[in-house]
Amino acid sequence: MSAQDNRNSTRIAFHQSVNFTFDGVKYTGFKGDTIASALIRNNVKIVGRSFKYHRPRGIYTCGIEEPNALVQILSEHNEPNIRATVKQIYEGLEIESQNRWPSLENDLGSITSLFSPLISAGFYNKTFMRPRGFWKKVYEPLIRKAAGLGKPPKPFKTTSTQLHHHVDIVIVGGGLSGLLALRSLAKTKLKILLIEQDSYLGGILKNSNKISTIENKNNDSWISEVEKEIEGSKNIKVLKNTLATTYNYINHLIAIEDLNTGTAPLEGNVDQILHKIRAEHIILANGHIERLVSFRNNDLPGVMLTGSFEKYIQRYGVIPEKNPVIFSNNSSSHSLIKKLVDLNCKPKAYVDSRSGDKIEPDLLEIIHKENIPLFTNAHIEGCDGGKQVQEISVRDSEGMITKLKSKMLCVSGGFNPDVHLFTQSKGVLSWDDNYLTFKPDRSYQNTIIIGSAGGLFQYSKLANDIDTKLGFLNQEPIVKIDFKLNESDNYAIEKLWETKHEKESRWSKSFIDLQNDVTTKDLRQGILEGFDRIEHLKRFTTNSMGTDQGKISSINALGIVSEILDKKVSEVGTTIYRPPYAPLSFASIAGRSTYNFYDPERKTPIHEWHKKNGAIFEDVGQWKRPWYFKNHSEENLYQAVQREALQVRKYAGVLDGSTLGKIEIKGKDALEFMNLMYTNNFSKMKPMSARYALMLGEDGMIMDDGIISKINDKHFIATTTTGGAANVLSHMEEFAQTEWPHLNVYMNSVTEQFCTFNISGPNTRLIMEKVFKNIKFDNESFPFMTFNNFDYLDSTVRILRASFTGELGYEIYVRPSIALKLWEDLFYFGKDEGLIVYGTETMHLLRAEKGYIIVGQDTDGSVTPQDMDLEWMIGKNKKDFIGKRSLTRSDTIRSDRKQLVGIRPVDQKNIIEEGQHIILSSNVKPPVKMLGHITSSYMSPNLGHSFAMAVIKDGKKLIGSKVFVSSSSNDAFEVEIINPIFIDKENKRLVS
Amino acid sequence: MFIINCPYCGPREQCEFTNGGEAHVIRPSNPEEASDKKWSEYVFFRSNPKGIYFERWVHSHGCKKWFNAVRDTSTDKIFKTYEIKDERPSLTDLENNNLTTPSGEPDVGSGNFTVKKS
Amino acid sequence: MKKKYSIFNIARNAFSNHENWKKMWRSPEPKKEYDVVIIGGGGHGLGTAYYLAKEHGLKNIAVIEKGWLGGGNTGRNTTIIRSNYLWDESANLYEHSLKLWEGLTHDLNYNVMFSQRGVMNLAHTEHDIKEIKRRVSANTLNGIDSKWISKEEIKKLVPIMNTDNLRYPVLGASFQPRAGTARHDTVAWGYAMRADEMGVDIIQNCEAYKILTENGKVVGVETSKGIIKSKKIGVVASGHTSVLAESAGIRLPLQSKPLQALVSEPIKPVIDTVVMSNAVHAYVSQSDKGELVIGAGTDGYNSFTQRGGFDVVEDTIRAMVELYPVFGKMKMLRQWGGIVDISPDASPIISKCDVQGLYFNCGWGTGGFKATPGSANVFAHTVAKDEPHTINSAFSLDRFVSGKLVDEHGAAAVAH
Repeated sequence: MSAQDNRNSTRIAFHQSVNFTFDGVKYTGFKGDTIASALIRNNVKIVGRSFKYHRPRGIYTCGIEEPNALVQILSEHNEPNIRATVKQIYEGLEIESQNRWPSLENDLGSITSLFSPLISAGFYNKTFMRPRGFWKKVYEPLIRKAAGLGKPPKPFKTTSTQLHHHVDIVIVGGGLSGLLALRSLAKTKLKILLIEQDSYLGGILKNSNKISTIENKNNDSWISEVEKEIEGSKNIKVLKNTLATTYNYINHLIAIEDLNTGTAPLEGNVDQILHKIRAEHIILANGHIERLVSFRNNDLPGVMLTGSFEKYIQRYGVIPEKNPVIFSNNSSSHSLIKKLVDLNCKPKAYVDSRSGDKIEPDLLEIIHKENIPLFTNAHIEGCDGGKQVQEISVRDSEGMITKLKSKMLCVSGGFNPDVHLFTQSKGVLSWDDNYLTFKPDRSYQNTIIIGSAGGLFQYSKLANDIDTKLGFLNQEPIVKIDFKLNESDNYAIEKLWETKHEKESRWSKSFIDLQNDVTTKDLRQGILEGFDRIEHLKRFTTNSMGTDQGKISSINALGIVSEILDKKVSEVGTTIYRPPYAPLSFASIAGRSTYNFYDPERKTPIHEWHKKNGAIFEDVGQWKRPWYFKNHSEENLYQAVQREALQVRKYAGVLDGSTLGKIEIKGKDALEFMNLMYTNNFSKMKPMSARYALMLGEDGMIMDDGIISKINDKHFIATTTTGGAANVLSHMEEFAQTEWPHLNVYMNSVTEQFCTFNISGPNTRLIMEKVFKNIKFDNESFPFMTFNNFDYLDSTVRILRASFTGELGYEIYVRPSIALKLWEDLFYFGKDEGLIVYGTETMHLLRAEKGYIIVGQDTDGSVTPQDMDLEWMIGKNKKDFIGKRSLTRSDTIRSDRKQLVGIRPVDQKNIIEEGQHIILSSNVKPPVKMLGHITSSYMSPNLGHSFAMAVIKDGKKLIGSKVFVSSSSNDAFEVEIINPIFIDKENKRLVS
Repeated sequence: MFIINCPYCGPREQCEFTNGGEAHVIRPSNPEEASDKKWSEYVFFRSNPKGIYFERWVHSHGCKKWFNAVRDTSTDKIFKTYEIKDERPSLTDLENNNLTTPSGEPDVGSGNFTVKKS
Repeated sequence: MKKKYSIFNIARNAFSNHENWKKMWRSPEPKKEYDVVIIGGGGHGLGTAYYLAKEHGLKNIAVIEKGWLGGGNTGRNTTIIRSNYLWDESANLYEHSLKLWEGLTHDLNYNVMFSQRGVMNLAHTEHDIKEIKRRVSANTLNGIDSKWISKEEIKKLVPIMNTDNLRYPVLGASFQPRAGTARHDTVAWGYAMRADEMGVDIIQNCEAYKILTENGKVVGVETSKGIIKSKKIGVVASGHTSVLAESAGIRLPLQSKPLQALVSEPIKPVIDTVVMSNAVHAYVSQSDKGELVIGAGTDGYNSFTQRGGFDVVEDTIRAMVELYPVFGKMKMLRQWGGIVDISPDASPIISKCDVQGLYFNCGWGTGGFKATPGSANVFAHTVAKDEPHTINSAFSLDRFVSGKLVDEHGAAAVAH
């Protein structure tokens, strides 16, 4: 008894052999074979071990619904859990079976089968609790090691890409119904996309023997004619090897295309395409799936679904076993019986659970003609045979058991319309009492379902079905299709979900979910324990939670549950079908948007100069900002910052501040608008002057800050923090458009229209005078916080006198195209005056020495201007501005809120760390009461000791007192609370 | 990801837009006269219905304009988009979605159950 | 009658072919009146009923649930449990919860599979480092076991992580060793079973339509199974809480948004701790079944469909395959969503309100599961005593009027 080729199959290249290995053993198949069909050809019966009980498992189906035959692909980065029934072989393919040790034949894990009565559904919730402590150290690690199917894969950098489609029609499924629909719509000139999961079109036309001829042609000819008709059509596109996985709202499909069917993947080449399809109408023609029947040991290798057995013969050119026993509760096995007779491998017996008078006369005729042993009103009690089927027990209507010796049992429990995508589209189902399954009842989106996907199982009605549903698209009516069938046009089925065991033992099992080892006993136990809601039962038993989502068994479970509860199946309902339809690779979801394309690197025009001059960069949002500059390769962050900070205050330094946001605001009502957006009163500001301003949220908390330059009452330029730029602009637009649309004001980002150079230090004036020869920089000509436009080369620059370091300084705004030239000019003339470049870390230190806050560092969304000692920035006599009202709520007017202060260690050897907390004593034994935290902390070369800024409860009143600061080495040291301005308290240098 | 009909640009994918919360929220015209409670209603409290919801969107990756929309939050179906300056549309014009109870599920369209309600 | 679970008990039942298990909870019809009605049969609601019966001796309690118990966010989250929050008030609440988690399996005699495998929060920028170090300092002083770990220590704990060859390299992390995961469904089932044993009526398929009040006091609730009278009602209905509050004339500052999550196919153990990265929206742990459990960020609009956009999932996955190159060949097995009720300061509301006898426990947003026992425990106190416990006193509804928010969003914006 063994497998035999069927060389009539036209989709296997019998002249091209392909070598591959499985568990180290070399096998040969043919081009076009899947791993499953090739293994079947080689009589490999066992391909894996089940999840919980480690029972030997074989190939159960011939498609994506496969629960058992999951293998690991060693030659593709150890990709786990691949369906052997879908993956095509190629020369050199190396695969390994999963979940077994040391080998598939002899798996130590099968010991768990002995304990199976103890490890039924939900057992882990009732045990592993004692002794305490064992859960963490013993039980859980063991459970985790036993869990999982495949081994983890090797690292892999994705090579998938994504494509968008916008079409009028998508047809999911290139089978009989899909092709008929496509052909009838071809002349409408609508843009149509047909997606088919297999490498060939045809569906049951190529996968089965059900249709002898269609429109008087054989199946292959009919398919090629349709393909020829649409070939070259500009408005029709066909995607093969493409599986629709997800139906999203609205009218949106995700489908995954495999570019390497039957070929080895090439390193670096695109291997998958994730298609994102938006359509006006989606036609679901994705057919139906066969389901199993539960009986004793229905999981043994040698049990296979009937339709799948037929597909191996028809599509893959291999008869898995000659003379199988065929068992059914419905009319569909006729075509297989006919095929086996034609191939001289007639079945050993045919067992039908229906009574003789219900069975189709044509079917009975061939059985009698070929002398095939027939059992009616009978069913399978169980199979036996150790590691594979050897003997099949048939029980007749009187309860008598007949044992048949056979290595193969084909089972059909009926058909389920494939409703995954339909329910994902938010459509609802109803129960069909005739076909004993759920079918689509009401669509929600523009979803049309045709053929068996919609619960239609009569060939003679197909033409009408398609015409009725697609008529509104001006399709060419089909009217009638000439079928010559190898089975009855009227599919008929009788209810049979499971059969009783002859001997009930604690170990006997009828499986419902093969992948998760869920038995019908588990379902009963769950219901006994009170899990009679189907969602609870699913989670308790893990039924249908495997990678196959219970495609061949979930409806059976509902049938069984409905019988136990004596409820209608429609009352029991189904669990939600979760996308994706079949597991979808992470790589394809990530597509191109990883690694180099994860997020753009935003750089300033001076970036290359920074790199050449020793810059180490930090990420601030998407920007790359110089963090510090290494003077020589050995210099570290601390040394660089100490050097840079000294230099700036002694001579001069320049910072590339181009990343800070800049927004231009214009309009007749710009002044009124600015007064509403910021705390300050800009009314009395002179034109061409600037002011430091605060922006609050409506909750009164500091949101952002910046410098507002007023050109005139109708024209302002605002700067923002680097990270806050986009938020500030959106915030302005929101209020301008929705709250005060009557104001004539408009704004735009000009962040990338100007580079900003912040130059400061005692020698700045000297340098500026050399670079800009015609500008007067003395105090009277160019006062502090004023700005103007000046010529530079053949362009214009804007120079604002302001600085964030507390030294004499200027901000230069220059067009990007000449920015580098100006930067280099600054250094050309400034080098002799001691000009250096500095980075963000030094900038932080210098501003902290002046007690200037950084929004997002010293603030965290929970501090008001008063908390930061910036009350003076609130315009007096301003009736309203965003956040004003919130400042006088009961919690915000408290005088003991957290307030900004300076901190200095009592013993100057101690270094204060950012993020540490202010506490009352040196006792750090928790819980310790915290008064506040250190927001910014630095070692200052200009001061000669470490210092910090902090927010402390009632801080203003505590200035002068001593407290403690915790440290990361779990102790605390004494500090003094002081005024937060550490250098040049009178601000003499700024206005010098 | 649904499709939003921007009143200025036409139908676009939802990822081009940013949601702006509830529509027609009135900022008190004299904030200083509002009590703490009344002010907090404007700053923090918002409707959160299951069913017809009037909300704002801004076409961030497009024209950057704000507009209003009427959407059923139990199905995500958008009935209408309209400009900020327009009046709130009347509900009688909008399709009924059979949301018969406040926390219940509509007959179809939420995706939270699969079998037709009997 | 108390159900005792153990290996011996399982063995006994195995002998009788598992045909003698008793129902974990009854399915009673609602009585006309109860002392307390809890609306919402998720982990928080069932836990509240449990503690009301156990610690406050109340017997006449009902939990009403419009669907199947634990079917809301309790059954949909990514099971992460930790207590390393910034502010004292939050830290105390979540730590209270974590301590209860540590004893929960034994309190309930039902294995909730609380796995203290540690939770890591990654830092990808200098700004992240500052925020995390501040939080670690606050945690330490509050007695919470949180520490800063370097990149090298991260690699020892998670060998599969790619720390350097990333757009935003990993610079360090906070690590809480006592944190971890638990099996979400079983928490609900455990609380339900023990609450039912103490006489609590758990009524499923019972939708609350309207909270009935008279003269500013609660008198009952109108449901799909008729009117149930009670003088005390606790609303613990996550995304649907606002809908119910409106029926009593109470406005809440919540917005219900979709939150998505997904699992991969099961594989043998590959990551033994929970890793969270706020910067790149990637949260991952591996369940005891072998599946990678991955959480995404919220979708930005209000919805009750429990579905979100595919683009949100894409954002998480593209960060994942960079951080963990071995995930490149993994596949998504299924994805789903829940409805999270988000409050303006990302902190919960566990509070009385202007209607006497009406209590709310909501606003947990994306972080409710970890707080299940703690939240249930303090809410039971609030309902029983008509006063908040000290642990939840800061989470009152009126903080939005006074301005005393407990903002757990972190810094409002990225620095400079």
